Amino acid sequence: MRKYWNLLAIYYRSSLLVQMEYRANFWSSLAISVMWPVWHVAAIAVFFYHRPTLGGWSFNEVLLVVGLFDVFAGIMELILVPNVRQVVDHIQKGTLDFVLLKPADSQFLATTTACSPLRVLDIVLGFGFIAAGLYRLGRVPTVSEFLTFSLMLPTGFVIIYSMWLLLTTLAFWWVRVDNFTELFYSFYEAGRFPISVYTGWVRFVLTFVVPIAFLTTFPAATLLGRLSLGYVAGAMFMAAGLLYASNRFWKYAIRFYSSASS
Amino acid sequence: MPSQISVSHLSKFYEVHQKEPGFLGSLRAFFRRRYQTVRAVDDISFEIGEGEVVGFLGPNGAGKTTTLKVLSGLLYPTSGDITVCGFRSFDRQNEFLRQITLVMGQKNQLIWDLPALESFEVNRAIYEIPRGDYQAVLKELTDLLELEPVLGKQVRKLSLGERMKCELAAALLHRPRVLFLDEPTIGLDVTMQARVREFLAEYNRRHGATILLTSHYMADVVALCKRIFVIDRGHLVYDGELDALVERVSPFKYVRIVTQRPLDAASLARFGEVRSVDSFEATLIVPRDRTSAVAAQLFQSFPIEDVTIEDPDVEEIIGRIFTEKILSQ
Repeated sequence: MRKYWNLLAIYYRSSLLVQMEYRANFWSSLAISVMWPVWHVAAIAVFFYHRPTLGGWSFNEVLLVVGLFDVFAGIMELILVPNVRQVVDHIQKGTLDFVLLKPADSQFLATTTACSPLRVLDIVLGFGFIAAGLYRLGRVPTVSEFLTFSLMLPTGFVIIYSMWLLLTTLAFWWVRVDNFTELFYSFYEAGRFPISVYTGWVRFVLTFVVPIAFLTTFPAATLLGRLSLGYVAGAMFMAAGLLYASNRFWKYAIRFYSSASS
Repeated sequence: MPSQISVSHLSKFYEVHQKEPGFLGSLRAFFRRRYQTVRAVDDISFEIGEGEVVGFLGPNGAGKTTTLKVLSGLLYPTSGDITVCGFRSFDRQNEFLRQITLVMGQKNQLIWDLPALESFEVNRAIYEIPRGDYQAVLKELTDLLELEPVLGKQVRKLSLGERMKCELAAALLHRPRVLFLDEPTIGLDVTMQARVREFLAEYNRRHGATILLTSHYMADVVALCKRIFVIDRGHLVYDGELDALVERVSPFKYVRIVTQRPLDAASLARFGEVRSVDSFEATLIVPRDRTSAVAAQLFQSFPIEDVTIEDPDVEEIIGRIFTEKILSQ
């Protein structure tokens, strides 16, 4: 286990070093990283000019949802997107060879070691919005609410990581699957609003099929003291199941790796 | 000698889809894919002992690279048993991967935008090489490959030869016992090729490492390998000593003479097949076992100034194996 943390540190350090090789790119990435979250809040503010609540949530409460949306968007940009690109690249060019040759878990090396370190700012800003929302509400979460919340975050991460991995693994057969992640993104956009905004089957899909509600609405509800423990248990159960499935699928798919080019 | 690599009845088939040329061809292939089975490796068996250096010869697409990739656990074999260092390759257990390496002249593992040392550091962590050992191995590799001046430069700024040397070093930091080398000298100039060759020979001597190598440059194989495999369209058609192969395929030598008076083809014909004749100089093709007898006869018949007896060029011989299908089953 220590070996793997150590490896992550080494890989992320080299990612940062690579970013610093190209200075113009460094600064523009930094700018993009700040722009998006600010824009997200602005868009929500426009809604509230016209109406007092959104799906039963006030502006300050929705701020928590937007904050979480940016936290997870940041995590996706920071870790998931670069890794999906890395896996597809590896498979398309046959350089997965070097990953498979290493005495370490191949899923770990192929799907966690790439990162765009500058997107860490999205995450910081996202937490800023959450703090701002709570402050404006004058609400201090209880210890147990806070603990549940800090349990929901890694759980949410495991859920999207596993879902992305399941999609990415299809690259062993279809090679170019980067577009799938765009598809996921278009679903993820729905997570900017509390799940109660949606009705009927859309709500069902966003909760159980593409479980975006587990990333934004539910953790926000935790901090607002509105979430029952049943949901938390359900989320963890879902995360464990998805992680297991994605790992098995990856192991199975490697057999079909064709090691492009000599 | 216990065998370190043992392969029995290995086959690897691929399904590939066919595409006719042109836009319509692509359109057709988009909607209806027609698949074809390619038998990249077809029922191959062999054993390699510890410390052996074996060369893999064969035309493009014969199955050399596929075999190396199956041996190193990258590709899942269609059928057959493979044991390397006592492990089944495709299980890719960490203990197995620690003992082998695969170097591909066509692929890079080094991080493109950073100096090679950064990539070495990553490998050190993955292989969990203790600091002290790492420093010692790195020093040895730096000396043998003369890496000192290039280690601090970004990989993208290195020449092909410099990069290849760094790739070799990166692949050997964990001091593997079995080396699979796929075209390790491709694209290098003659001096650099010779350097890499010397390095591999030295590495084999020092550490008793087993090496299985493919190369398009005969010189690599001649310099390094006593034993060779010849593979053609997925079949192993020859496994044995290089010298024996040369004798079998080309049981002739060239006898070149220089005389004091002009020569003509007709008077030479009774000594052997005339390869070339140019007034004072001629080359005859003579069966191996008769070369000395023929040379003696030539001395008696002509005012000889000089005689040389040469083996035909190995490159030429190997070329003949494939063009004339000499070993085909």
